[in-house]
Amino acid sequence: MRGSLFAFFGGAFITLQGVANARISQDIGTWQAAMITQFTGFITALMILLFVRDGEWQQFKQVKPLYLIGGAFGAVIVFSNVTAIHQIGVTYTISALLIAQLCLTFVIDINGWFGVVKQKMRLPQFVGIGMMIAGVMILRF
Amino acid sequence: MIPGLLMAIAAGSLVGLQNIFNSKVNERAGSWATTALVLGMGFAASLTIGFILEGKRIFTLQNMQPWYWISGMIGVGVVICLVQGVKRLGPTYAILIVLTSQLVLALLFDSLGLLGLDKVPFTFNKLLGVLAIVGGVIVFKIGGGRKFQKSVVQRK
Repeated sequence: MRGSLFAFFGGAFITLQGVANARISQDIGTWQAAMITQFTGFITALMILLFVRDGEWQQFKQVKPLYLIGGAFGAVIVFSNVTAIHQIGVTYTISALLIAQLCLTFVIDINGWFGVVKQKMRLPQFVGIGMMIAGVMILRF
Repeated sequence: MIPGLLMAIAAGSLVGLQNIFNSKVNERAGSWATTALVLGMGFAASLTIGFILEGKRIFTLQNMQPWYWISGMIGVGVVICLVQGVKRLGPTYAILIVLTSQLVLALLFDSLGLLGLDKVPFTFNKLLGVLAIVGGVIVFKIGGGRKFQKSVVQRK
């Protein structure tokens, strides 16, 4: 039960973050909003890290440099997310975003790119993607 | 309509890619070091791109309201909730609930026009569409007994 609540609020916060960024961008600009929210998030995470010490900075050396710079995508993610919310609303934005996310992850899993465990394509995944796209079509009417 | 959709698709693809990269870092460094790194990188990239495109205007923050300064902490709340959710439920069900609540909340935000965004009227079709997407996510995630990648640091 508590696990479900955590997961529920996790998802709620993700949507809230997008909406809050969209609101903030109206006042200070979109890149500015991306910059400020990630800066304050960074400082907060850094402070928590100093308290909990659940990991070691030194371990970063053992990770491929490519994976370390993944965070930089955050700039474009926030910018695109905010722009999309302004243009087509939150529901469409989150729907299209999630479908693209799942589809890309699916393609990466099938091909075993980036050293992920290779997965086979199965019917349910295609049915699932079909249902999601149908869902977006229904949203339009 | 189309440009907005393309933006959302671009964002989603990058989120998918980023989740995989983040989980690689997470395996070694733990979730808080990873979160700090990811947000720090995102900040640096936003600053750089913003400076290239807008010059010094990137530093002029007009009409800042106090809560703008703490909105970044929502992302930290996301990490706490996802880590705890995945720990208690396992990645499959935790991520299912996360995706579902993202969609339901999106519909709620649009319908109520919260936080001063344009109100997008609620229709029965919107609910039906969201339910179909949620159904699709469930079939996709649970059908066929695939294994799931544990991706704790998920981004907006």
